[in-house]
Amino acid sequence: MRRDLTLWAAFLALVAVLPWLGVADDRYLLFLSNVMLMFMTLALSWDVVARTGQLSLAHGAFFGLGAYGVAIAFKQWSVPPLVAIAIAALACAIVALAVGVVTLRLRGIYFAIATLAFAQVWQTVMLQVPDLSGGTVGISMPPLFGGDRLASYYLALGIFVLALALSLAIRWSRWHYAVTAVRANETVARIVGLDVVRVKVALFTASATLAGLAGAFYTPFITHIDPFDAFSIDRSVASLVFPIFGGLYTSAGPVIGTIALRSLEEYLRVTPPWKDGYQVAYGLVIVVAVLFMPRGLIGLAQRAVRRSPWRSSK
Amino acid sequence: MNFAHGEFVMLGAYVGFWLYLAFSGPLGVGPAVSPLVILVGIPVSGIALYVVASGVYRLTLRPVLRQPELNQMLLTFGLSILIVNSASIVLTPQAKDANLDWRFDVLDLGFASVTYARLAVFVVCIALVLATYALLMRSRLGKQMRAVAQNRLGAQIVGIPVDRVYEIAFGMSAVLAAAAGVMLIFTTQVSPFLGLATILKAFSIVVLAGLGNLTGVLWASVLLGLSEQFVSQYVPGGSALRDGLFFVLIFVVLLARPGGLRR
Amino acid sequence: MALLEVTGLVRRFRGLAAVDDLSFTVDEGQTLAIIGPNGAGKSTTFNLISGLLGTHGGAIRFRGEDITRWPAHRRTRAGVARTFQIVQPLADLDVRDNVMVGVLFGAGASSSLAAARAEAERLCALVGLGDRLVQPVASLTLADRKRLELARALATKPALLLLDEVMEGLTPAEERAAIALLGRVRSAGVTLLLIEHVMSTVRDLSERVVVMDYGKKLAEGTYAEISRDPKVIAAYLGTDDA
Repeated sequence: MRRDLTLWAAFLALVAVLPWLGVADDRYLLFLSNVMLMFMTLALSWDVVARTGQLSLAHGAFFGLGAYGVAIAFKQWSVPPLVAIAIAALACAIVALAVGVVTLRLRGIYFAIATLAFAQVWQTVMLQVPDLSGGTVGISMPPLFGGDRLASYYLALGIFVLALALSLAIRWSRWHYAVTAVRANETVARIVGLDVVRVKVALFTASATLAGLAGAFYTPFITHIDPFDAFSIDRSVASLVFPIFGGLYTSAGPVIGTIALRSLEEYLRVTPPWKDGYQVAYGLVIVVAVLFMPRGLIGLAQRAVRRSPWRSSK
Repeated sequence: MNFAHGEFVMLGAYVGFWLYLAFSGPLGVGPAVSPLVILVGIPVSGIALYVVASGVYRLTLRPVLRQPELNQMLLTFGLSILIVNSASIVLTPQAKDANLDWRFDVLDLGFASVTYARLAVFVVCIALVLATYALLMRSRLGKQMRAVAQNRLGAQIVGIPVDRVYEIAFGMSAVLAAAAGVMLIFTTQVSPFLGLATILKAFSIVVLAGLGNLTGVLWASVLLGLSEQFVSQYVPGGSALRDGLFFVLIFVVLLARPGGLRR
Repeated sequence: MALLEVTGLVRRFRGLAAVDDLSFTVDEGQTLAIIGPNGAGKSTTFNLISGLLGTHGGAIRFRGEDITRWPAHRRTRAGVARTFQIVQPLADLDVRDNVMVGVLFGAGASSSLAAARAEAERLCALVGLGDRLVQPVASLTLADRKRLELARALATKPALLLLDEVMEGLTPAEERAAIALLGRVRSAGVTLLLIEHVMSTVRDLSERVVVMDYGKKLAEGTYAEISRDPKVIAAYLGTDDA
């Protein structure tokens, strides 16, 4: 545990000084770093739900709800942007709690389908309430911190640290034993005294709140939100493909997976034969990862270390 | 459970659509186009999808069948993304329309009116449902499937080849999906993205009916269809709302029968 | 005083009664064995008592309190633990962590990880898994999995422990060790309720025996009494054990 925390402290220190290592001077790199932190938050939050053995297809939608929540709170009640972000996250928490209480009592597949349906319905809802949502046009918002991307980078970092803290706290507390038991066998988990539904609902709610926070950061960051962007399927897919590729049920997996795949995506987007083909690649990544690398890049690395002749005994 | 099921419907629809193009274009069969698309399209797309499905089953699904449910769901979800996006690249993302001249012709029944197209779809689908029902209830294979669904271990002990039955059941569901896809071209446009909406509707029907309950599925379908029409007719701005209906339905059912529908 | 009191218990599956008007009591410190042919409703009875299945009639009282409608986890926290006939170790956790889950969330509900780890190690040593603490559960032998199952149940600090065929599949030597172990568990103050097929275990461990057949109670008494009962011999001993 101590070694893990040291590594994370080093990683966070590196991320904190990154802008001063030249990133702040390059508009594109700074933009991309903001986006990366946002997606790392989303990926970490999705993995928290996966640890209980549940498939959430609603994390893209919670991101979208956060994105709309901040814009609506800002426009309708003219609260300061940071307060609007908090309101949006709170709204996501309440919605997730309601959805979780209804669906997490059932077998996993019902939850998965219900979250898929949930994700699908919001685009329609937002188009139906143009007075609130701006209809197809969406809502514009002034940029955070007067457009200072360096300041917003540290806000994104703060939100990421929250997600990382949740993920690590679960790993190094009794929650680790609770989620692993629930994932392995719900019947046994109940019989050793775990309130399985409560464990699942609590983590789903916390996780959706973080996904909502990531979304609440997004709108003031890019200054505009519309229903098609907010609730795009691509983001739901991203929220789960990153952790799967990096390594499920870990904190490092979602972070590494996001860095690897998001970089690849940036490259493919500007490479002619691919363009939007990265979505095909994502489908392929999921299938291949489930079949051949169930613990993702982390699992591969661990296996390599174990086989390495230089391995030192601990 | 298979998240890629909607994509099987989509692929079936494309097969039907190509046959329509072939029949109405180079082959020029004239007014016989529609019956031919049904008569030839359902077997052809059915066979094609059976082959695809059993390939998918052997290569990807069988290895994870004994793994946690999450892995199975992730796998089929990945397949779904893979198929949709490959289709949107290969087949272009544009929706395509089969220009059937009789598609909007209306038959007046007095108390209600339907288009001939919908009537034809209805008749064919009822026939398919009856055939499925007969297969499940009467044939040896159907009995084996029901046995495996109830108790996998028990079925194995009495000598049912469980793996094989799974494969056939998976293939059969793809055949039905393909048939549904062929019939879709008579009422709607064909696009790589039609799978998602289809599978969500299908699932809300199954939730409503209870898993493995075929007669329940019929009633649930009628109920969903009627309430969709009702909402789009009588609720202001309802035509857009009707897409959200399946979601409301799923939630109401899950709330009303929280113990899980299977138990 | 009755620790567990079951009255008029009913459970049906598709109209068929698997447990039908079953009543019995287990006194504190007493060991009761439930025997009966396959399909007599023994495991269903366990599922009803531990809360994994809902009842269709009757009542279950634990320490005088009606727990019939309690969820399974609440019963465990009140002091009802069980093992499964088909052992169910938790994958992804090693031997010690499997037991830790019971310590952390059972009736003892410890919140300190270090204390829970120490307690789990003590229990592993008690059941004879002391040298396999960090072994993945997938690599355990059947006998070791049975031990693990027992250790995890004990970890929840039960007052009443339901044991579903713990001897099944063990060699005679392992069986003797297990009987000695259960004797120690009992003298530590845990009341045992067994489902058992192995008659020597029933004889050696239990003070009272309930015989089930077709979901109903066929007979109840000491081992000596029920082994002389003609009804029991006809239904069970005559065909299976004699």
